[in-house]
Amino acid sequence: MIEEVIRVIAFSLVISGIWALVSSGFTLIFGVARILNFAHGSIFMISAYFAITLLKYNINPILSFAAGIIFSGIVGVLIYKVAMSPIKEHKIMVIIVSLAVALLIEQIVLNLFGEHGISFPSLIRGYQEVFGVKITNMRILAFVLAVLTIFLLEIFINRTRIGKMINAVAQDMEAAKLIGIDVERIYTITVFISSILAGLGGLLYSQIFAITPMASLKALIYAFAIVILGGLGSVKGSILASFIIGFIIVLTITFLGARWSEFIMLLTIIAILIIKPTGLFGVEE
Amino acid sequence: MRYAIPLIAILLIALLAPFIVSEAYLYVLGMSYLFIILVVSWDLMVGYTGYVNLGHTVFIGVGAYTAALLQSSRLFVILPPYISVIVAGAFSALIGFLIGIITLRLRGYYFALVTAILPLVFMQTVFIWRDLFGGEEGFSITGIQGTVERYYISLASMLICVLIILYIARSQIGLKFKSIREDEELAEAIGINTTKYKILAFVLSSFFAGIGGALIVNYRCTVSPDLYDIPLMLLIILSAVLGGLGTIYGSIIGGFLIYLAKNWWLKPIISQIPSMIPVSDDIILYTILIVIGILMPRGIYEELRKVASAIVKKT
Amino acid sequence: MNWVSSLMVLLILLGSIGLVSAEEKKEVVIGVIGPMALPEGTAERNAVMLAVEEINRNGGINGLPVRVVIGDTKLNPNVATSEFRRLAEEADVIIGGFSSGVMLAMMETMAETKTVFLADASSPAHSKKVEENYKKYKYWFRISQNNGSTFAWDLAEMIDFLRSKCVDVKRVYVIRDEHIWTDAVMKELRPLLDERGVEIVKDVRVGRGYTDYEPLILEAEDLGADLIMPILAIAGTGDVLVKQWAELKPKVLIAGHDLAAIDPAFYEKTGGLANYVIFIADGGALVTAPPTDRCKEFIEAYKKKYGHYPESHQAYGAYDAVYVYKTVFEMAAENGEDPFNPDVIVKYLEMINKSNPLVLTRVIAFESNHDLAWGDEYVRNWISQWQEGKQYIIYPKSVANGELKIPPWIVTRTPVETVTPTHTPVTPTPTPTPGFEALITAIGFIAAVYLIRRFR
Repeated sequence: MIEEVIRVIAFSLVISGIWALVSSGFTLIFGVARILNFAHGSIFMISAYFAITLLKYNINPILSFAAGIIFSGIVGVLIYKVAMSPIKEHKIMVIIVSLAVALLIEQIVLNLFGEHGISFPSLIRGYQEVFGVKITNMRILAFVLAVLTIFLLEIFINRTRIGKMINAVAQDMEAAKLIGIDVERIYTITVFISSILAGLGGLLYSQIFAITPMASLKALIYAFAIVILGGLGSVKGSILASFIIGFIIVLTITFLGARWSEFIMLLTIIAILIIKPTGLFGVEE
Repeated sequence: MRYAIPLIAILLIALLAPFIVSEAYLYVLGMSYLFIILVVSWDLMVGYTGYVNLGHTVFIGVGAYTAALLQSSRLFVILPPYISVIVAGAFSALIGFLIGIITLRLRGYYFALVTAILPLVFMQTVFIWRDLFGGEEGFSITGIQGTVERYYISLASMLICVLIILYIARSQIGLKFKSIREDEELAEAIGINTTKYKILAFVLSSFFAGIGGALIVNYRCTVSPDLYDIPLMLLIILSAVLGGLGTIYGSIIGGFLIYLAKNWWLKPIISQIPSMIPVSDDIILYTILIVIGILMPRGIYEELRKVASAIVKKT
Repeated sequence: MNWVSSLMVLLILLGSIGLVSAEEKKEVVIGVIGPMALPEGTAERNAVMLAVEEINRNGGINGLPVRVVIGDTKLNPNVATSEFRRLAEEADVIIGGFSSGVMLAMMETMAETKTVFLADASSPAHSKKVEENYKKYKYWFRISQNNGSTFAWDLAEMIDFLRSKCVDVKRVYVIRDEHIWTDAVMKELRPLLDERGVEIVKDVRVGRGYTDYEPLILEAEDLGADLIMPILAIAGTGDVLVKQWAELKPKVLIAGHDLAAIDPAFYEKTGGLANYVIFIADGGALVTAPPTDRCKEFIEAYKKKYGHYPESHQAYGAYDAVYVYKTVFEMAAENGEDPFNPDVIVKYLEMINKSNPLVLTRVIAFESNHDLAWGDEYVRNWISQWQEGKQYIIYPKSVANGELKIPPWIVTRTPVETVTPTHTPVTPTPTPTPGFEALITAIGFIAAVYLIRRFR
């Protein structure tokens, strides 16, 4: 019995950590630029594919991993500059275009790599026994990395100068412009950070599990669900929400079976939305 | 009607199509009419009230599975196709009503986000109760047999649905929908019950989507969860945006063009391209959508109109 | 609606006039259909193109040149049926398939267009349709692998074999595709396991793309299973299962049907962690153990043309299908019958039976319900194992080229009697689905909350 509990906690911590990375990135862009970036999931997916391709050319796994992270940042900014910045006043078009970008990337990857998933070889091998439960070292590493990154993110946003500028733009874009903040630059920086978060999440996910081209949409949906629960625009909210969601998912898988997990999770979201439409810590429009 | 002649000509050709074109093409043509119903029903909601419903496929799928279940032996009744299609539409409308009263309280982004995740919930039901719904690969029903019969039924249904929707859109009700899109608070202020009309639009939209879905399963004789899936939603969006949101005609043309492009014209082109270059019909269509979206964020119809009126002014 | 748009529509309708010509058939057209984003699909396409190239080099089919048309099912029944229809316009025979559900949909189209279909899919439901409604479905022949129920026979024999090698198999943990094809296999398998006194401790169904195997592997170990029996094909994540298994090193073997393991590049894909995985090889051929000389030649020719070995067993089936069609076509022409007539082709295909098989890359024979004949002398799934980067067949003896190896971290079990069972045997039923009651409760709960809020 105690093993089951430990297993549930261990697994949900890891998965929550990864989703926390992805969803805080998504909510960050919204909080700052009021843009719903539907291509966010694609970054999650493409970082892993990039890293694996590098690996095929015999580049060191750790280097590939790092390169994958940087790659996601660059791709994220590219997508933003080309497809979203020019039309960022037309909120609806942004949604549609970014969704199209997401599906486009999925199709291209599908064509290049096929439908079967790929998985990145674990950076650390072996496992630990915690109270009789085997947990792979990779999972522990993933959790630690995720927590560390979120911690760094918090420090960055609240302590550094750029972070404060980001906060300012998030609170009131017009006022920020008035005091001379280059809003467009802040947007770009935010997109870069958010994409890096997604990319890291994707790389970690591909090491423990596997990534398919369709993972981009799955990641997007999970990000949505978590962000809706936590409240659009609130990073704290999405972190909290991802742990709640992660926990619910693992519980459902353990006791009801894998196929119920997404259904239950989505139902919970809808239920909570009925009670509190703006989520736990949502910002008002 | 100023355009009676070209319209009659088109209608004539459409009626005579089975005698002119090949069977495979006729099949695709018939499907494109049903696709038009899907696009037009979406435009009625999004183009007119301005609420972006990203979960339109929920209603398509609900209509589809309802009709399929009523026509197969999986439930306790078996209904003939025509009745089950109507029932499916009604059931979709009911679901639309229920979803509407919950979600239409949200504005803008929240509405889009929430409706975006709905199709997935419904898609999961197909997998969870796979004995009933047939899981990933669905199941077959008898449907409407005969390629030619299917074609005419599809054509007739499309015409009926489009005419009804056109009538609604051009009526006072349609005007009220548009007022919600323009400025919802102002509409409220001048006494229009926006909640009532939003829900009405949503219900109508879901009704026709359900009918569309039900007709599709009768046409294809199979049902599968791809009717809930996101690529279908994006195809609908592409068609409506291409044609121009808020004009029913635009959706008809957009839907027609896109469906035929994807399922017929692009195919021989794609197979010519060597498999080295990652290109498929989806990729081309998505790229088109992206380019159009970036260059003409107001939709083709608006931009072309601006160009057209600019030209007219000069002459 | 303005002039421009109506003109466009007019042109579109007009421009699509495709007149069906009734000229003499100057060529033979072969269609290939499959999921081209997956190795199963590309292998079929590659194999057919290779075969057609060879045939054209040697004078074609009955002197006529051969052309290939390709369709992509995208593993989606809707896309598959319209692609099938498109191919059927020109093709005289269609080869391929994959995925039993999509196959069922395509069979309907096949019946409508009356096109000979040499197919790849394993569900018994397909040949059952041929049996029950011969006139409608007779154009369908299974060629790439056996009827799925035979997989159960192979799996049962696999367990017998393991036991003969002192691996005591008493408890099995099943991980299978959530798909009709595994339901059919399980139906056949359960009585066979009961006969042998083997208990299924858990039967887990996983969807396409499922990757969270670690908890399952650990659970198998906890439940005292002797082996994890995957029955996977559609899930597509066999490599993840194997990776996680090798990382955790549980005291449980992996032995079963995993489509991913048949791929010669599987060892590489899993970074060597596939060592010791026991699997059954569909289609009756492995790159390292070709059953006929023709097969050996085919494998080499494939490598030469494409730079790698056949990525899935569908390749053998597709290659054979082309030559089967050629043989049958030429036989019909010789006897003065119209080889372009599908009914004629069906007649000649049925002549290839157990007493008159056709030897290609495997030994092909059709049963009366158009299934592929099963047996050591025909086609069956070889029991194989990955060892140090190579695939070896370990059973049946007539084709075996390797011995069973147990992973070093597994100590062969002590007799089960000395271990007191800490759990009651789970009845071998699938994971129970709470059903509509749960849904109603959920809806009721949500409704209650909503109403309470409303009237607060």
